[in-house]
Parts: sequence; structure tokens; C-alpha cells
Amino acid sequence: MWHERTRKLLAVGLALALAASMFGLVGCNGTEDGGEEDGGEAGATETIKIGVHTSLTGGLADYGFAAAEALKIAAEDFSGFEVDGTTYEIELVIKDDKGEPAEAPIVAQQLVDEGVIGVIGCLTSGNTNASLPIYQSAGIPVISGSATAPDLTEAGFENFFRTCLRDDLQGAAIGEWAVELGSKKAVVMDDRGDYAVALGNEVQAALEAAGVDVLRQEGQEGDVDFSAQVNNIKNFGPDAVIFTGYHREAGLLFKQLKEAGVDAQFMGGDGIKSDEIAAEAGGAENVEGALCTFGGFAQENMPGYAEFAAKFREATGKEAGPYSENNYDALGALVDAIKIAGGTDGAALIDALHEVEYDGVQGTLTFDDKGDVSVPGGGGTDLIPRFEFTEGTWQFIG
Amino acid sequence: MSFEHVFSLTVSGVTVGMIYALIALGYTMVYGVLQLINFAHGEVFTVGGYIAASTLIWIGVDASTPLWVKLGYFALALVVSVVVTATLGWLIERVAYRPLRGRSRIIPLLSAIGVSIFLQNLLIVIFGPEPIIMPTAIVPAGFVNVFGARVRILQIIVIAVSLLLMALLTWIVKGTRIGKAMRATSQDREAAEMMGIETNRTISFTFVIGSALAAIGGFIVAMYYGSLQFDTGFLYGLKAFTAAVLGGIGNIPGAVVGSLILGLAENWGVGLTLGLLAWLFVVGLALGLYIQMVHAPRRRIDHIADEFRTPEYEGRLKAVYRLAPVVAVKTLLSERTDALVHVSARHAVQLMAGNLVLFAFAVVFFMNGDVQFSSKWQHVISFAVLMAILMFRPSGILGENIQEKV
Amino acid sequence: MAGTFRRVADVFGRIPRWVYIVAALVLAIVFPMLEQAGLMQTLWLRLGTRTLVYVLLAVGLNLVLGETGLLHLGYVAFFAVGAYSTAILSSPRLGIHWNFWVIIVIATVLAMLFGFVIGMPTLRLRGDYLAIVTLAFGEITRMTFNNWESVTNGPGGIPGIFPPNLFGWVVDKPAEFFYLLLASVVLVVWLLNNLKKSRVGRAWNALREDEIASHHSGVRPTQVKMLAVVLSSGIAGLAGAIFAYYQQFINPTYFLFMQSTIVVCMVVLGGMGSIPGAIVGAVVLDATPEIIRQAFTQWLPDALGSDFLPGVQTALQTDFDRYRMLIFGLVIVLMVIFRPEGLLPDQLWRREVHDEDPRDQEHTRQHLFDFEEGEKDLEV
Repeated sequence: MWHERTRKLLAVGLALALAASMFGLVGCNGTEDGGEEDGGEAGATETIKIGVHTSLTGGLADYGFAAAEALKIAAEDFSGFEVDGTTYEIELVIKDDKGEPAEAPIVAQQLVDEGVIGVIGCLTSGNTNASLPIYQSAGIPVISGSATAPDLTEAGFENFFRTCLRDDLQGAAIGEWAVELGSKKAVVMDDRGDYAVALGNEVQAALEAAGVDVLRQEGQEGDVDFSAQVNNIKNFGPDAVIFTGYHREAGLLFKQLKEAGVDAQFMGGDGIKSDEIAAEAGGAENVEGALCTFGGFAQENMPGYAEFAAKFREATGKEAGPYSENNYDALGALVDAIKIAGGTDGAALIDALHEVEYDGVQGTLTFDDKGDVSVPGGGGTDLIPRFEFTEGTWQFIG
Repeated sequence: MSFEHVFSLTVSGVTVGMIYALIALGYTMVYGVLQLINFAHGEVFTVGGYIAASTLIWIGVDASTPLWVKLGYFALALVVSVVVTATLGWLIERVAYRPLRGRSRIIPLLSAIGVSIFLQNLLIVIFGPEPIIMPTAIVPAGFVNVFGARVRILQIIVIAVSLLLMALLTWIVKGTRIGKAMRATSQDREAAEMMGIETNRTISFTFVIGSALAAIGGFIVAMYYGSLQFDTGFLYGLKAFTAAVLGGIGNIPGAVVGSLILGLAENWGVGLTLGLLAWLFVVGLALGLYIQMVHAPRRRIDHIADEFRTPEYEGRLKAVYRLAPVVAVKTLLSERTDALVHVSARHAVQLMAGNLVLFAFAVVFFMNGDVQFSSKWQHVISFAVLMAILMFRPSGILGENIQEKV
Repeated sequence: MAGTFRRVADVFGRIPRWVYIVAALVLAIVFPMLEQAGLMQTLWLRLGTRTLVYVLLAVGLNLVLGETGLLHLGYVAFFAVGAYSTAILSSPRLGIHWNFWVIIVIATVLAMLFGFVIGMPTLRLRGDYLAIVTLAFGEITRMTFNNWESVTNGPGGIPGIFPPNLFGWVVDKPAEFFYLLLASVVLVVWLLNNLKKSRVGRAWNALREDEIASHHSGVRPTQVKMLAVVLSSGIAGLAGAIFAYYQQFINPTYFLFMQSTIVVCMVVLGGMGSIPGAIVGAVVLDATPEIIRQAFTQWLPDALGSDFLPGVQTALQTDFDRYRMLIFGLVIVLMVIFRPEGLLPDQLWRREVHDEDPRDQEHTRQHLFDFEEGEKDLEV
């Protein structure tokens, strides 16, 4: 009898030892990574980790790439600033959430575990929504350069800030523009993705408020055939077709509209602002003359844009992509906040961010109580820049 | 709601339906022969499009290429795509399905799902997640005006090519030796083998033909829409499968009819007002009433053995159908009926319930005549059709014709 | 070589089952303590929590796929029903904040109800048709949540889900969620294990093996299948409810078809019809990719210098997800061909798939890649 029991006990003990050794392995690693900072003596050099929560793979990889590259440039520019005699070196911790909200909390936790003092991101509003709870409980400030959904700053997260303008402003601007162009009947179409639907609702509201007759249509992200929608649009006979999704579906839609002989002004939000739209629409002639807006400030009015764009070109060999300057400024604002707070404590940084008056690429930026960006002397739809597709690329027109 | 609108919706629906049909034929043939849902067929279709497009990109056609050279390139791309894709189809059968033959139905289906995931991600690994763009120079532009609506030349080509291929396929299955072998294999594999038919070769051939059709479908889609993405085939595969089931899986004309219905349903469903859609239900109701009142009783009467065939008995069967609900329900409730009458009564009640549903839909739609389904429900419509058909008539519209299966 | 394997397997096989159960439980209980003690990053706790959600789903799906032999491709729909009922009834979205217990019950029962409604007309279908119907149902559910903006906020999702309150214990830390999920897993596994041994469990397995024969032995196929479908839907609903509480935010992209296939993968890998198999399958498929990624991008470079296989590091950082799904696909195909009984097979299922002479099987495998034309296959 006792023999049997000893064997059982031995087995349990063995299993436990095995488990302990396994997690010991994991654990060792954990301690290596955690808590390196909080040294801060006068005259010392301190390396601060700043998290970059972006999407380098998945459907929005090009936006993620632009953000990450802009932040690398910013980290180089801002590194080595001095506060109270301490020199701070910036180390970026770049993590990819694949554009999936299911992955976003994991990435957020990784960044928190790495001991970052602040996070620049996320790329999309959905992923921001999914990871904000984690950042909030860790008390880390989050500044996004591209999450434009209005409800993010309305939900009461005091640690969230953004350096881009909100969808409701852009939606109103698109609507206003369509009305300016003399539109009486307009089609608003989205791709059932979170960004496109939110922006589409804003555009529709703006148009309807101006007395425009609106037909709402929907496609699905990833669809190639929009024939039913195209026929509906043709039957409606609009003078403007506004697609609020991304360039892939926009290209296909504009191509099919042209082929069906729909003669209307094609418009879109910042999702279609990619030169790849020409190839996706089966040739630049199908997009020629299309109009789009952008959710940031007008680059051409930005005091530091030319310099930033040159740096970006030098570093990557590519043109500065959408929202890259917003990300650059996000890091700049965070650095400013560290200077004001005199340290890297999360709560102090969050308070300091509200006091920041940062001279960045986009101009002098401040954050309001909710964490939305505001520039002195403005706040209306005239902030939203406009672009036209001519000669195979999006040209700034005002 | 102009006639032109209805007409161009119809043309779009037929075009889309014909593309579905090319893929649906592959599903239906494999199902006919092996009783296997080749879940990876949608991905085989995508591969076909990718191979064709990348061949053309590799050759590098542009607008200045003379027409006959373009046609040569076109043929080359088609041949390369068909050969590669057919090989892929053959390989899938050999590696992933053949070792599982004779297992319960879901095991090969699991394997097929695995192949589908594998191929989709293989495409991303090789070509990247961005769409592959078809060189536009190869695509015939231009359109003709029919009834005030624009019809693209390419649409006409797509429809013509699809019809041609279907005719070819029907001839292969009905008129050739290998087609006979396919039909024999689908009826009874063991018996066919005993008769000296090399069933393995026949099954391989089925996969090769199905994949070749899918490749042509992929090529057509890439030309028609100008680009293709790694996951395009998944949805197309599902739609095509829906179409195959709708028409009666294993049934070649069924696949075509099902595809047309689905293509039209998707376009009409979100393009027409409910008032117009209601007429479809009226037509359906007329058809349903014809079946209930005339067709079904006649079929039943044909079943009566000659020695029992009396006018009273025939009349009783007719009454069961025509005077349903009263007679049918009474018959169902009474203990003492013979089997044929009992079965007929059940059938009559089902038919009547179906007709009532059609009637109800027609009324509701007429009452909300000005409303239109939002286009956000487009895919839901197809999936709902799939669910409804599988739940209520899994044998499809034209039936899974066992004798004629493939 | 093979002999050594067999001997090792024999040794492990001789260890009584309860030792494994105790060891697994102890491991699971100790796991969050490591984080509390600062020995482990919270990341691993989050990954562990996610794994537990998958364990719950895999155990639930195993009930239909493994025990009863019904391929269910829309399983994530019930998960979504559970998650959305929680999000709607406990968030600022509609301003409703109901009690945790009420919501858990509603989520589970609602998912069961959906399972019943969908099962009623479909369960008499052939296995492969059932798979497609459930797939379509899964997609319709997701699209409905995506389109029904007045209630679900459409694609924008529902943020700010209130943390659950269990008799005053507010669960809001990852470790607490881990224990909450662990408790649910233990409860569900205990329940299912007892059911499996009961008459109902035997009826499920009988149906899987031969529906006609079991029907004639007095098993009512539809009722028994329905019980499996309804129960497994309820488990998915429960998992969804806890998942929504844990994420504090949900939107329709959590419930893509791919999620259903991942759970199917887990059940197939672990062994259809085997509860420990489903658990192991979920743990292996959910945790291994993360461990590999972490090993090659962090641990090994930390230990052996940062220039350790830089190519692998970048590949893992950028293309990891593609390779992960590629391998998942391959795993399913290879498992059903070479080891259909899974990693931890259920005894009955093993006998069922290997009913032919083992030597013939060996032969079949050898001829798998034999491309000579006219070769007669051995299996019939």
C-alpha cells in the first residue's frame, strides 16, 4: 500500500519540479526585461523606452511602415535631451499587432512589460479601443498619430491623446467640399469596416444637414464585385460618389463605375490617399480627377514639413507616407511632456501632456481636456487639407 | 426604377453567375464522383488567377503590343495557368484526399479545410498580401449599348466562354469514354473497378478538369476586375458551392442554374425594390401551386401499381393534394391509411406550407414596395440562401440526380 | 529509435491518469503566482488567459466534432453571441449594467438557444452539409453583428465593458481572469467527463461510429445530437461572456471564420473525442507559436548575442502570422492522414480509425507518394 503511495507522491513531485524548472526559465527572462529605468540621478544618462504600437503586417502595413519610420527619425532627433541635469536617450520598442484587435492587447501587454514610459499608437481606432484598458491600468500615456474615431476621446480615458484630427471633422469637411462643388445628389459608400462606417456616417450627416439627397451604399472589405452597388448608383444618378473606405476597394469601385458610364465626381477620405489606387483601378485614367481629404493638417501649411519630408526621404528612400508627421509630432509632444514633468512617471506625464505647447512639424500643438489635438486659432473644417488625383499621384490643392 | 436599371442588374447578375458556374462545376464534379466537398477549390481558383496574372506581368505586355502578339501572350498565360492549376488539383487529390478514401465523410473535409488554409497562406508567403494587378493592356475594353444599358464586351466574352466550357464539359461527361468512366465511378466505385475501370485515374482526371475550369475562372475574374487578392477565392468558393448545392450537387445543369440564380439574387436582392422582388415570389407561388395541384398528384398516380389503379384511388390522391389542408391533415391524423396516401398527405402539407411562405413573403414585400434592401446585407442574402436550401431542400432545385450524377 | 520511443511512451502511459490531472491543475494554479511574484512577465499571463479561452472553446467543440462526429465550422458564432450579450448588457453602450451571474446565465442560455434553433433543421443533414450550414450561420451571425448598428455599434464595436463583480470580488486583473477561466474550465471538463461516461456519452460515440446501427439499438439520433450541439453552444457562449469581460472591448473582427478553423485545428491535433486531447491541442497550438516567436526574437538573442540568426528574427517579426496559419493548415492535413487519433487519443476513436490491419496501413503510407499510374490503393 505505502509503496503505491510513495510512487504517486514521487510522480507528483516530479511533475511539480518539471513545471517549476520550465517556468523558472520563463521567469528568469521576465526579470531580465523588466524595470531597468527609474535611475535618474543628476548628471547621469538614462535610457527611456518608448513603445511604438503599430501594424507592420496586415491590410494597413503601409501606414504602419510610415509611422514606424517617422518615429525612428523622431527618436534620433530628440534623443539626448536634458532635464534637470539628466540626459535622456530614447530607445524605441516597436511592436506589430497585425492590424487585428485580438492581437492588440497582447502587444500592449508586451510594451507594458518592457517598461515603456509612454506609447505612440495604435494605428487604428479599433486596436486602440482594444488596448487602452491595459495602458490605462498601467498608467502609461498613449498618443496616437492616426486613430481618428471620435469616441476614443469621448470614452473618458485620461491617458489617451492624439495628434491627428477626428473623423467627425473630416467627415464634415468632405460633406462641405461636396456641397461647395455644387452637389445635389450624392452617394456615400463604405466597406463595413470600422473606419469607413464611422467616417461614412459623418459624411452622410454633413451632407443631409446641407440638404443634399444622399444614397447610402455598402460593400464588404475584400470584395471585388460591386456590380449591384454600381447599378444602384447609376440608377440614382448622383453628381458625387464618396467612398470612405480604403484604396483597394475604392480602386475597384471607381473602375467599375467608370466602366458602367457613371459620370460623377469621385471622392474619398484619407483611406484612398495612396498612389496604388491607380493600379488597383486598372489605370490612372479611372481615378483621374478624384478628390480626397486627409485627417491631419495640411502638410503644405506645416512649418516643418519640408524638412521632415526630406529627412524621411533620406532615411527610407520613400516619400513620407500618410500620418507619418503626426507620429513624429506624437513623440515630440511626449518628449516635451517629459521636460515639463521633469521625469518619466506616468501620472505626471499625463498631467504634463495637457500643458504641452509643442512646436512640431504640424505647427504649435496643444491637447484639450479630452486629449484631442488643437491648434491655436482654428478648429474648423478648413484645417482639413484637400487633394486631387492628377498625373498618377495625389496633388495638394488647398 | 427604370427598365434600364433592371436590365443592367440582370446582365451583371448573369455575368457574376457565369463566373460562379465555372467554379461550381468543379465542386459538383468532384462531389459527384467522390461525395467530397473539395473545400480547397476556391483557393485553386485563386491560384489559377495568380498564375495567369503573374505570367502576363512576367512577359510584360503593354498597350503598344500588336493585337495578335497580345492574343499569343493571352493563350500562353491561359495554358500556363491551366497546366499549373490542373497539376495542383491532381496533387491535392493525391496527397490530401486519396489516403483518406473510405473514411467517414468529415475526415476528408477536414483535410480539405487544411489544404485551403495552407494554400491561402502559401499565396501570401509567395506573392505578399497585396493584390496582384492584371496588366490592363490584355483586357478588351469597349462596350455596346443594349436597351440603353452598357454591356461590356468582356461581359459578353465571359458569358460566351462559360457557356462554351459548360457545353464542352457536358460533352466530355456524356459523350466520351472517360466521361463514361466518371459516371460509372460516381455510381459505384467498387463495381466500376470490377468492370475494369481505373477509378483512381478517373478521379484524378475529375480533379484535373475541375481545377482547369477553376483556373479559367480565376483568369476571367482577374481580367474582369483587374486584380485578385489571396482571399478572393474563399468567398467565390463559398458562393460557387452555394450555387452547386442550390442547383443540386453532382448535377452539371444544376450547377449552372444554381449559379445563375445566385448571381441574380445577389444583384436583384440589393438592387430592386421590394415591390419588384415581390413579383419573383408571385412567380414562385405560381410554380408552387402548379406543383401542388398538377405536377405532384400526377407523379404520385404514376407510382400506383396497375392492379390498384382505380379512378376512386386516383381521385383520393388528387384530393389529398388539391384539397389540402383539410384532407391532408385529416389523412395524417387518421390511423387507417395506406402508405402512399400517407406519404402524399405529408408531401402535400409540406408543399402547402412552402406556398404559404411564398405568399406571405409576396404580401409583405408588396406592402413595403418602396423599400430596398441595404447593400450591406448582400452577402447575408447568399449565405441565407445557402442555409435555407441546405435545411429545407438539400437535394437542390434540380435534384441530386443519382442516375445522371456527373 | 522507434523502440526507445515506445519504451518512453510506455513509461509515461503507466503513470496513472490522476497524476497528470493533479500536475496540470497545480501548474495552472501556480502559473499566475509566478507573475504575482514578479518571476514572469504579465504578457505570459495574458497569453495563458487567451489559451484558457481557447481551451474552453476546444473542449466545447470537441463535444460535437469529437464525441458526436459533427463538423461544426461556425462555432465562433456562439462565442460571439455570448460575447455580445455580455457587451450589450454590461457596458455604457446602452447604459445597462446587469449583474455578472445574470449575464453569464443569459449568455450561456442564449447561445444554447441559438444552437437549438440552428440544430433543429440541420441535424438530420449529412455531416458535410452540416459543416457548410454552420459555416454559413457563423458568417451570417458575424455580419449581422456588424450591420446591426443600433444595438452593436456595428464595426466600431463596444468599448468599456464593465468588469464583473462576483459577490463583491471585482475581477479586473489578468491573474483574476485566469482563475475565473480556470474555474470554468474545471467545471466544464468535470461536467463533460461525467457525461462522457454516462449513457448519453456512449450514445454520442455510438452515433459517431455508426449512426444506423446505433439508431437500431435504441439511440435517438436527433435528440442525442441536439443535446451535444446545445451543450457545446452553451460552453462557447460562456467562453464568449468571460472573454468579453476580459477584453473590455469587442468588435466583429474577433469572430472571423478563421477563429472557427483554429479551434477545429486544436481538436483535430489533440485527438477528436478526447477531452485531455482538446486541452493539449489548444495549449499547443495557441502557446507554441508565441513561445517560438519569443525564443527566436528575444531569449536566444539575449543569451547568444543579438546577431543570432537575424534572418529568422526579421522573418518572425514580419511574416510570422502567415507561416503560423500555413503550418496550421499543414497540421490538419498531416494529422488526419498520419495520426487521425490525435496527440492524446481517445481509446474508442483510435480503434475506430485504425480498424484495418496495421500492416495494411503501413503499406498505404508507403504508397502515398508512389506516383506510378494504375497503382491500386489498398484501402477500400
